[in-house]
Amino acid sequence: MKLPYVEYEAPATVAEAVDLLAAHQDEASVLAGGQSLIPLLALRLARPSVLIDINGVGELSGVSAADGWVAVGAMTREYVAEESAAVAEAVPLLAAALPLIGHEAIRSRGTIGGSLAHADPAAELPAVALALGAEFVVRSQSGDRVIPAAEWFEGYLATSRQPDEILVEVRFPAAGPGTGATFQEIARRHGDFAIVGLAASLTFADGAISDARLAFSGAGDVPVRAAGAEEFLVGERPSAELFEEAARRATADLDPPADLHGSSEYRKKIAATLVRRGLQAATDNAYGRQ
Amino acid sequence: MTQIAAQRYTGTSVKRSEDPRILAGRGRYVADIKLPGMLHAAFVRSPLAHGRVLAVDVSAARAVPGVVAVLTGADLEEMTIPGQDPLLAMMGGGGPVAEYTLLATDKVRFVGDPVALVVAESRYLAEDGCELVEVDYEDLPPVANAAVALDAGSPPLFANLGDNIIGPHKRSEFGDVAGTFAGADRVVEFHIDVHRHQNVPMEGRGCVASYDADSGTMTVHAATQSVHVTRMGVATRLGIDRGKVRVLAGDIGGSFGLKIGASREELAVAAAARAVGRPVKWVEDRSENLTASGHAREESFDVRAAVSDDGDLLGLDVRMVIDTGAYPVMGTMVPGIIEAMLPGPYKLAALGFESTAVATNKASYVAYRGPWASETFVRERVLDLLAKDFGLDPLEIRLRNVAPRTDPPFAMVTGRPLVGVTTRESLERVAQLVDLPAFRRRQAEERARGRYLGIGLATFIEAAPGPRSAEGSGGPMGMEYMRLRLADDGVVTLFTGQMPHGQSHQTTLAQIAADEFGVPFEQVRVVFGDSNVVPFGLTGGSRSATMTGGVTLHGARQLKAKVLDFAALLMEASPLDLEITDGQVLVRGDPDSAIPVREVARQAASGRFDADADTNLEVEASFDGGEGGWSGGSHCAIVEVDVETGLVKVERYVAAEDCGALINPAVVEGQIRGGIAQGIGAVLLERSAYDQDGNYQSATFMDYLLPTACDIPRIEIEHLETVPLDADVNFRGVGEGGMIVAPPTLVNAIEDALAPFGVRIYEQHLPPARIVELIAEAQAG
Amino acid sequence: MVDFSLRVNGATHTSSVEARTTLSDFLRDDLDLTGTHVGCEHGVCGACTVIVDGRAVRSCLMLAVQAAGSEVTTVEGLAPDGALGTLQQAMADSHSFQCGFCTPGFIMQATAFLSARPDASEQEIREALSGNICRCTGYQSIIDGVLLAAQRAKG
Repeated sequence: MKLPYVEYEAPATVAEAVDLLAAHQDEASVLAGGQSLIPLLALRLARPSVLIDINGVGELSGVSAADGWVAVGAMTREYVAEESAAVAEAVPLLAAALPLIGHEAIRSRGTIGGSLAHADPAAELPAVALALGAEFVVRSQSGDRVIPAAEWFEGYLATSRQPDEILVEVRFPAAGPGTGATFQEIARRHGDFAIVGLAASLTFADGAISDARLAFSGAGDVPVRAAGAEEFLVGERPSAELFEEAARRATADLDPPADLHGSSEYRKKIAATLVRRGLQAATDNAYGRQ
Repeated sequence: MTQIAAQRYTGTSVKRSEDPRILAGRGRYVADIKLPGMLHAAFVRSPLAHGRVLAVDVSAARAVPGVVAVLTGADLEEMTIPGQDPLLAMMGGGGPVAEYTLLATDKVRFVGDPVALVVAESRYLAEDGCELVEVDYEDLPPVANAAVALDAGSPPLFANLGDNIIGPHKRSEFGDVAGTFAGADRVVEFHIDVHRHQNVPMEGRGCVASYDADSGTMTVHAATQSVHVTRMGVATRLGIDRGKVRVLAGDIGGSFGLKIGASREELAVAAAARAVGRPVKWVEDRSENLTASGHAREESFDVRAAVSDDGDLLGLDVRMVIDTGAYPVMGTMVPGIIEAMLPGPYKLAALGFESTAVATNKASYVAYRGPWASETFVRERVLDLLAKDFGLDPLEIRLRNVAPRTDPPFAMVTGRPLVGVTTRESLERVAQLVDLPAFRRRQAEERARGRYLGIGLATFIEAAPGPRSAEGSGGPMGMEYMRLRLADDGVVTLFTGQMPHGQSHQTTLAQIAADEFGVPFEQVRVVFGDSNVVPFGLTGGSRSATMTGGVTLHGARQLKAKVLDFAALLMEASPLDLEITDGQVLVRGDPDSAIPVREVARQAASGRFDADADTNLEVEASFDGGEGGWSGGSHCAIVEVDVETGLVKVERYVAAEDCGALINPAVVEGQIRGGIAQGIGAVLLERSAYDQDGNYQSATFMDYLLPTACDIPRIEIEHLETVPLDADVNFRGVGEGGMIVAPPTLVNAIEDALAPFGVRIYEQHLPPARIVELIAEAQAG
Repeated sequence: MVDFSLRVNGATHTSSVEARTTLSDFLRDDLDLTGTHVGCEHGVCGACTVIVDGRAVRSCLMLAVQAAGSEVTTVEGLAPDGALGTLQQAMADSHSFQCGFCTPGFIMQATAFLSARPDASEQEIREALSGNICRCTGYQSIIDGVLLAAQRAKG
């Protein structure tokens, strides 16, 4: 399982990276953390002519909070985001999801931008980004473009990033007061991709749900937002019956894939279990936080 | 128990002499070997499960800079002598012999079947070359599973066999089968499936082959369980005199039965090394290991049980089908062992057994830790299922049916006597350790709260090496050899054909020799892994504790006697008055007379003594196993099943085991825990899956899941000790037991947890989706 | 070919490799540091774990050239003069391993983990090591070795 021959570029700035992408377009793969791309190369499933290694582009790393958003540079390592006080304080759903990504050694190298640009529907970060309505900032020689999460995920391992664009930053909205978040997973083993996962965030005001975010991983070719269930929850007071109905609504139209780890029917069933458990956990976390 | 001269090391958890190098990263595995001029090999492998090979075009591959040679299946046929797999040839399987070429020439028979070999300056370049080899295939309908293979109309994998039934149906009967079934109060029928899973050592297969044209010598650095069996395989296939083949092995990263003899790939690599005149290294990658190295355990059983109304298991009638995959290795031998072992430690009065082995378009069935393990799975599942039918507790039904300890010993209806088997004791002990009644109370309380806990018991015996048989020891596994030498530097040196790959023989054998001979542990050296230097041997079959422990014990005594005879000359004393203690030879009772063993050795090597004195301080020992004996034990698992998701947590696992005397308790416990972990993995995580077209689906570690540190609980082990069977050698093997008995232990526990739903389980692989399905099916039906 | 320079076990190395060469292959083949083992080449088994700039990483998921300018520590770097370090000695005392193939990966991952979390509980240790696969031991003896090392490190 040795990698196939590739040309290699290691730009030092975003501008250089952008120029390289303009030159090579879809013949190039951007190498960030490598935790997803290198296995694909080793299996010879990915066959780029050029690797554009952006690990040397220092300006792409960093977490900053401003104006109700937390901006995470695309090359920010997952472990850095995990240790970030700004993330813990302002984006509890992201903070909840990060420790579930693989194992420590994966998070040593894997990046926020890399995971989201790779867009594996079984991964945690796409569901988080979709649930929160994160924004993706991409740059090309024509300048910057901001893409909302709802328009980012196009298909299996496919995003709306154009071949000449590079993801520079992902912005997550800061959670308001009274928010509790959780990432629930059913996985075969600790650290595995979830068979199905759920990003869940609830915001409470005066004991009622004022905002609800629910998105699944592992339930489709892309992360799946349970918008209908979210709408249903807003304005309601938490209860087991409420969560049960939300679970029914969230999964009624799900058509998850089948594979070695579970049938479509099984995934749908556990998705409902995750909603019940997730909404309870999010509620508990919201009240814990207050 | 064992009359060892000085019980200083034996029986204690002496720290491993392997560890300083292993822990410092100085182990030497096949992949670490670098020889001058060495090249690297990669295989072109079939993407089809079944197909004809119409043409192979290697021209583009040959043109890649750095590619030194590309050998097709046809090329390799010209360089080698056709023949059977070496392990099969050694064990003598019987039955029709499939004819096929070393690499695929006319046909491919499973996804991953090697078709050509690329040899290049690096593995990277070799894989580049492989991509450029163009093979023209004609698709053939896949024989994707046993049901298809059993159909006489299925396309035969092997032209010379005519159909895919390679182990023809045969039936044996023991005891009065017809009478037992006719007279039974009830006859209950089950169909039980064991799924395909595999060894997955952390190190895959591999070798470095090097041919010296001047001397005509082939040297193979191998990862193997026996340097001699590998040597035989290479010599035979390459048409080289055995004396000119040398097999070397250093550290080996696990095997569990996989690395015995020489695989088709290894033989091809050896042939390639000879052809290109430079050393060639092949290290299989994980994708090859999972897809092509071989799988195990895919067996199905139709079982009829004759039972009394009181829950006596009177007889079993079993029909077995084994899926041996595409290239027969040893799958055809497994049914015979299963048949012999099925009665287990129980009073079963009658057994009917028939089996059929079929070839399918899947990877070959290879030996995997306790290859006959399904007999324990089937029997222990049947007992639990019957217990439920009869309203008996699983412990009760087992105690009811276990064979009594009698003199002469009770014999299994298939023949072997249950000498020294302590099943009753281990069952009672393990039940005591878990406090069965207290668990039942807790289980009931938790059920009321909607939590589903379960407890499972199972018991087993394994021939480790088994009791002395009436016909005497036979076959290559029946005798163990060792050469023992007091080297010139005073180190007691043991030359053994054992080939440790995790068993810690470097430590355990030295413990016995040190005690028996009378030197410190550090003054013993164990030599293995060189076919030029060690006697025949093979590590496997849970036999080394008895066989090699025994030959070490007896050999050390013989060597000591010889050394004392010589020391007597030096010390002008009678050998009867001499002893060896802590590395010193002395006249008993006279400490001032002591001479270091090292000095005795030096004197013997000095050449000072005349021809009358026997100064060659070396013996060749052999051992037939003595009284041999069984190992066995009873295991118990407590699980919690999340019925919404199907996830299983193993909360507690307890084993009461009996392997006689322990050489090194930490080593014994490590072997047991490792086997149990594989058993837990088999039930909850591991499956070698094929789709209906014969495409292999578990080719990476994302799909073939191994248990991790979060999946295996602390395993509590209690050692029972049997009445000694032999005057001297009462160590018995434990290598395979954990893996044999853990699957039924765990499945029994899961079924117990799901009892409120009426779930009955007739299979071994229970991933979460399947558990949810079983619950739904039970609730619907 | 790409030129690059890095420090491995305290020594500087300057080399030129194809970009596609993994760090694991570079360490093993170019620097003859065969203590780091390759078990899967797709980042799941952990046998290839080394420490790069203070963090445990899977060396099969890094290109060698990506370690340019970095400090890499392999298992050979933990006991350069031959004497086993605290963790290694504790593992020897606990009979942690059998075939030894997974061992260097466990040692490097545990080394990184214990330096960050010297007071970790058994469950935390199990989770931290759940990305390293062992086929021989059932893990208990490895966990015992790590716990013993942590205890001894505290004095």
